[in-house]
Amino acid sequence: MTEFGLLQTGLLLGLYVLLAGTWGLLYAVARLWSTAIFRGAAAVVYGLHGLTALAIIVRTPLGMGWKCLIVASSLAFLVVPPIAWRFLQHIHENESLEHDRKSSQHSGRVVARL
Amino acid sequence: MYRSQHLAVKYFAAAITLFGVMTLTGLMSAYYYLNPEFLFGILPFNIAKILHIDTMVIWLLMGFIASIYWFLPEELGREPAGIRAAEILFYVFCTAVAVVAVVFVFVQYGGSNETALWFINQGRKYVEAPRWAAIGIVVVMVVFAYNVIGTTIAARKTTGIITVLMVDLVPLVVLYLIAFPALSNMSEDLFWWWWLVHLWVEATWEVLIGCIMALALMQLLGTSRRIVEAWLYIEVALVLGTGILGLGHHYFWIGTPDYWLTIGGFFSALEPLPLLGMVVHAVYDAGAKHMRATNRPALYWMMAEAFGNFIGGGVWGFMITLPQVNLYAHGTQWTVSHGHFAFWGAYACGIIAVIYLVLQKTRNLTYVDGLLWRWSFAALNVGLLGMIGALLVSGFAQAFVERAIGGSTLQAFIAGQENAWFIEGMVFRFLLGIVFAAGYVVLVWDLLALGRRVPAVAATSAAE
Repeated sequence: MTEFGLLQTGLLLGLYVLLAGTWGLLYAVARLWSTAIFRGAAAVVYGLHGLTALAIIVRTPLGMGWKCLIVASSLAFLVVPPIAWRFLQHIHENESLEHDRKSSQHSGRVVARL
Repeated sequence: MYRSQHLAVKYFAAAITLFGVMTLTGLMSAYYYLNPEFLFGILPFNIAKILHIDTMVIWLLMGFIASIYWFLPEELGREPAGIRAAEILFYVFCTAVAVVAVVFVFVQYGGSNETALWFINQGRKYVEAPRWAAIGIVVVMVVFAYNVIGTTIAARKTTGIITVLMVDLVPLVVLYLIAFPALSNMSEDLFWWWWLVHLWVEATWEVLIGCIMALALMQLLGTSRRIVEAWLYIEVALVLGTGILGLGHHYFWIGTPDYWLTIGGFFSALEPLPLLGMVVHAVYDAGAKHMRATNRPALYWMMAEAFGNFIGGGVWGFMITLPQVNLYAHGTQWTVSHGHFAFWGAYACGIIAVIYLVLQKTRNLTYVDGLLWRWSFAALNVGLLGMIGALLVSGFAQAFVERAIGGSTLQAFIAGQENAWFIEGMVFRFLLGIVFAAGYVVLVWDLLALGRRVPAVAATSAAE
């Protein structure tokens, strides 16, 4: 690896995860407020994330195995926010149960009585 | 209030004091880079650095212990078992920390013998405390584990969070025992030492802070137990699934077999995934409550924890975790930048959030807000981000000049240290460190004055 290749690879890897995080953040905000602008922004940021992944594959001296991992991680980053959101919606459905919010001595939700 | 909650307040006070020592010795360590003659012949750089890192470990550990002592009696509806022993050990713990610090500052070195190992310094990074003090830490942790497990048995019931906590306490205590052996083979010694350092920080501590945040979320936002427990189980599974074998990224260059390059790189690359889930969760919770809570500083510090953990651990970690980059970046200021960001995001922000929650209860406040916490929040985070950015620039210069061009020779090390980018990074790190220290002072001021200012914070009596 050349000295410039080192910095380029490190920065691209950081940018890659940063854009994945920004995609997740914007996706969540878009779902929260149901606004088209955030949906669009989320899609754009994921697109940039994809371009960064492409740059890592084409421009860095990483081995083939690591490049495959980058592609697989991009797919995982794509599905984590929607899955997490759906799961959160699902578990919040019965949030109105008052006893669930109290400490265990007042709560019906005790995993075991010894 | 329960006795263990009084004990929690004392532990928080000790933690915040050590946070101050950490900040001061951090500033000193930063200044040595600018003026290597600083305190020449009085206090060498490595002692300031030891104090900086060890107080970081201890203040966070005390913050965790305090948080559990605070939430445990509320969770199980009774005073913790063995609370008397815990109260005595608090003073023993604080005295031991003070004595060790005095020995580090005034004795500094011992010979290559058992006496030095027992009474001066064990000589292993992050666990330098002499053996007698390390035994003391084990005793404190064993009693702490007994407090939790014994209380659960006495209460004859357990919750999901407490069950996870009890399971986590076993490796938390057992892994610390690795601090004791003194192996003569350096590769073997580092192999096991990383179990202690990595598995404490990226496994047991992650689970511990997950339990604490789950309990804090129920108190702060009224989030239901079912939700926090479900999320905690998933988080624990993902963090342990990626974090345990992520240990391999420390095994790249210490003489271990080369399959660790693949294992460490692969599992480390997966580590940002659960952190991304936490970001989505933070947005969901904050949005569901419209960023409204009766304790605004606690809410903002919790949000800072979710994002700081992702960026500090995930983004900064991913830059250097693949073996090809790590070959050049490990041990440079680049990793220091990652370490500062990850510890701050993953743990420090969470502990500060819990302290605000505790003060709301102890000072009987219906609503916590004001100006001071905003200033401290801004100064601490701006200062930290500035330090991280500056360290990153210095780290780039080091990896570029010393490692990639120079091939890690002694001459290349000197060239790296004299590089203009490296030096400027160190200057800015020191300046932003002063901003961070100012933020710490304002934080302490706010914590001391909280509830005594009107109308920034309304007391219950006033509201009624």
